[in-house]
Amino acid sequence: MTTELREAAGTSPLRKALETTTMELNFGPQHPATHGVYRAVLQLDGERVVGIESIIGYLHRGIEKWVEYRTYTKATPIFDRLDYVGAILNCHGYVGTVEKLMKIEVPKRAQYIRVVLDELQRIANHLLWLGTHALDLGAMTVLFYGLREREVIMDLFEAMVGQRLLQNAYPIGGVRLDFPRGWERACRNFMAELPHRLDEYETLLSSNRMWLQRTKGIGVISGAEAVALGLSGPTLRGSGVYFDVRKCIPYGSYEDFDFEVPLGENGDVYDRYIVRVREMRQSLRILQQALDGMPEGPLMPEKLSKIIRPPAGEVYFSVEGAKGQLGYYLVSDGTDKPWKCHVRSPSFINLQGLEKMVVGGLVADVVANIGSLDIVLGEVDR
Amino acid sequence: MSDEEKPGQPEPPAASEAPKAPEAAPKAASSPDPTASPAPAAPAAPKPPAPKPAVPPAPKKWEPTGEVVVTPVTEKLAARFGDAVQGVKSPCGEAIVLVKKEKLGEALAFLKSDADCAFDFLSNLTAAHYPVNDKKFEVVYDCYSVAKRHAVRVKVALDDGEPCPSAVPIWPTANWQEREAHDMYGIVFEGHPNLKVILLPEVWDGHPLRKEYPLGGPKEAAIRADKFAKPGYMPDDLEAAERIAEEGRRDH
Repeated sequence: MTTELREAAGTSPLRKALETTTMELNFGPQHPATHGVYRAVLQLDGERVVGIESIIGYLHRGIEKWVEYRTYTKATPIFDRLDYVGAILNCHGYVGTVEKLMKIEVPKRAQYIRVVLDELQRIANHLLWLGTHALDLGAMTVLFYGLREREVIMDLFEAMVGQRLLQNAYPIGGVRLDFPRGWERACRNFMAELPHRLDEYETLLSSNRMWLQRTKGIGVISGAEAVALGLSGPTLRGSGVYFDVRKCIPYGSYEDFDFEVPLGENGDVYDRYIVRVREMRQSLRILQQALDGMPEGPLMPEKLSKIIRPPAGEVYFSVEGAKGQLGYYLVSDGTDKPWKCHVRSPSFINLQGLEKMVVGGLVADVVANIGSLDIVLGEVDR
Repeated sequence: MSDEEKPGQPEPPAASEAPKAPEAAPKAASSPDPTASPAPAAPAAPKPPAPKPAVPPAPKKWEPTGEVVVTPVTEKLAARFGDAVQGVKSPCGEAIVLVKKEKLGEALAFLKSDADCAFDFLSNLTAAHYPVNDKKFEVVYDCYSVAKRHAVRVKVALDDGEPCPSAVPIWPTANWQEREAHDMYGIVFEGHPNLKVILLPEVWDGHPLRKEYPLGGPKEAAIRADKFAKPGYMPDDLEAAERIAEEGRRDH
């Protein structure tokens, strides 16, 4: 149904004459398309959404409180549990915050290894997102293909840090271990294969007429609205706003690499999809440069005390997470435990944009919009 | 809802800070004294083995280290608002300003609308609890400009129960973040369109990120305060634990 037809249906004289009332539809919390325990109460006028209320908090575990009772080192693994499909990026955000607060200089080789693992994690996240998003809209094949490629990345993680999903990859200061023997070759094999796989997915989706009908012109959000709502990551860039933490607030040697920031034009579901697919290709470019230009050197700074005791004060540091700007606000009182820790989780803030996207659209497009936001409820609720 | 919670809220700090008051008193001269005086009466009323909630170590007064960072933005704020804006020390070179509450709304609107500042993106909004400070709460705004690529952190200090002007009219993204700060710290944002619980269940006692709120909640804290209990201990007699917890909750 085109947009014109939709508009016509909403304002037809017949509908007005019939004096219809709105209907409340409960969506979730146990629904496969909500990607977790997320509940939306929709106000429907026929098939059209006129209001949405998001109800979250089902997965709230009080991580920010818990951290106040742990030392800085012991608090590290819990942040993997926020966004559990992009765990390495969470870990990087936290250790980066402590490093910024303590002014720890991370060795160059450790920074490059972090870039490699971060970008692999970003690809893994986007592959899983692509599969589940397509599954939400009825294309089941992509999920199986996406999981196949993600499996290779998980194996790479397992070989590198010993864990597949919640890796606890980085200690404060650097990385623990160097690449194991043969790891780099396996990674390069994967990198050589992935572009062809991405081409395959794009032939399944990018020019698929049904896919275009479900995504083009759906859930449009303008760049100015997206910035005002605080959206970030691919969700914001789908609306054509150039904001990528890796480029705008560089951290961890990202300024060394030459890569583009893919931008959308219309800010619809299709643009958010195509931005993520292009981002995977850009991540491959970064990976290639990082592996080619991998410097030699130590993995941990020479002078680093075993007990992490940052100076009293506060710090805010953010990385480009898989979902958007992933920020950590830490307050230290000079002891070995944080006084306060707050996570600016991109999923939580991006979910605010859902109302703008779905109101006025059809109820079937709510699923497409939730999928296009790429939320993980572990990160929304913390 | 917040109105119902508020009368109950000031009591737990009084009870929990009571044993630590002698240590903290010489350092923080004025503030703990009025709260300390009614406190000894409270534990005296119930029977002797009354479980005390396990509280974190007594908060000591501390100051941020580092230097005050001056950027064109902070200069501009200082020129515009005079002594209502005060630089805050940062250990890692960030621009931080503390704004008086009366000028907060004006200052945030200025940051958003001024052509040189152009802070169109509110990156982060949160609150913090400093029980020893004169003003016990802080609300923190991390502003970023997508166009100009610079950042500033604005903070405002508040008393317990003192309302804070809402930033939602300036940055709509503040909506959920202020609701979260309201959940976790009980800060009331004036002018917020929909200030209700977001992460906590609708019926929840207390504000979990306040320092006097024990880890795991009052019930678990009561179980742990049982003299036989050690950290990580699971009582054999669950019924007794429930009873102790019930008593603890009543005291709390």
